[in-house]
Amino acid sequence: MTIQPIWSPVALSTMVEPSSSTGAVVNGAELVVWRDSSGKAHVWEDRCPHRGMRMSFGFVRGDHLACLYHGWQYDTAGQCRHIPAHPQLEVPQTIRMQTFATAERNGLIWAGATADVDPALLPAEIPGLVPVRSLYADCTVAKVMATLGATPLPGSDDAPALETISENYLSVSSGPLRLFVAIQTMGPDKVALHLMTNQGAPIAALARYAQPLRLSLETPLAEVA
Amino acid sequence: MSAMTLYNYELDENSYRVRVLLSMLKIEHEVYSVNMLPGREEKSPALLALNPCGTLPFIQQNDTVIFGAEAILAHLARNFDPTGKWLPIEGPAFSATMMWVGFAAGPLQAAVKAREVAVFAVGGHLERLKADARAAFRTMDDHMTLRQIEGKDWFAADHPTIADLALLPSFALSRDFNIDHEEFPALRLWLRRFRRLPGFITMPGIPDYH
Repeated sequence: MTIQPIWSPVALSTMVEPSSSTGAVVNGAELVVWRDSSGKAHVWEDRCPHRGMRMSFGFVRGDHLACLYHGWQYDTAGQCRHIPAHPQLEVPQTIRMQTFATAERNGLIWAGATADVDPALLPAEIPGLVPVRSLYADCTVAKVMATLGATPLPGSDDAPALETISENYLSVSSGPLRLFVAIQTMGPDKVALHLMTNQGAPIAALARYAQPLRLSLETPLAEVA
Repeated sequence: MSAMTLYNYELDENSYRVRVLLSMLKIEHEVYSVNMLPGREEKSPALLALNPCGTLPFIQQNDTVIFGAEAILAHLARNFDPTGKWLPIEGPAFSATMMWVGFAAGPLQAAVKAREVAVFAVGGHLERLKADARAAFRTMDDHMTLRQIEGKDWFAADHPTIADLALLPSFALSRDFNIDHEEFPALRLWLRRFRRLPGFITMPGIPDYH
């Protein structure tokens, strides 16, 4: 399994705590995003090779992710290390997870298309960013672009300026206020927008701006008579 | 005074709401396990004589019966929590607690019903209920997103209240009707926080792993 694009944002870094896991969908591919007890992030296919259970329902034990069903444990390289029903068994090398390159950049966890993706292809580092929130909406990326460009930022009455940083990363700005939007395409009609801003910006106002934004994103364009 | 008896069903999330608070407040009680499925014992003449609504859970102590999970939570908090934290009775925390307890008994009931349709195979329009449940979760996630920005961990106060308890099980069990947690990051962190509280207990579908 490979995922598109080369690097996709899958979560705000702050929203996945050490020793926890969550699911993430990128263009239909189901992924598990988890942090080991040292805080390092990992992205794998969200499927236990044993019975197909979603690993995002599982739990972290030290630097292993364990499946909720039967407790099979996988190390940070995705190799199965422990099968509780057969504690004496030396687990065969062939029982392993499909892993994806994982990076943290600009307050986001990014998943690579395969296990080996060049980190140089990540968007450039922008210092001093703070998280606003993640916003999930049922709409296309085209609708995201049109709506972001038409919705004034808090404290402004004018349409903001859109600037593309990379294919799934842009900034929306009005005067000194700048909102960074990382777009996770979940499917043809489903996106997650991971919102960041500069330190000192009105974070609560930006989080409030996101609620009616979601409503606009999910409102079909009016039919032109 | 005779012991309090909780009439409950292990797989019923409303019963679980009450079990959690009984555990957290260490309230001595007896349990009557009702054969809700498949027996529908809560609708039997014997149990209807105690709770005419035919719902679970309810508690009985001496001649008094209290039904309705929200009312039972308020009753237990008011009478058995010397700190007064689970049901704050002063200031904005009281109002916010009431509002979110009302939300649990109102819009969030779509999630309770969606789970009953999906797990217990009772009648109902699952897709419609799921859409309403998702809307309720979004309202909750938006609220907790703003709370988190303000540095607050809980729905209504600086500490957990019966509002958190009334809201939590429906979200924790949402995978039972195929609504995953990933769309609600602020609720994910809140659920994880709640599961670490002293006295937290599990039910099928809500593990204690964190």
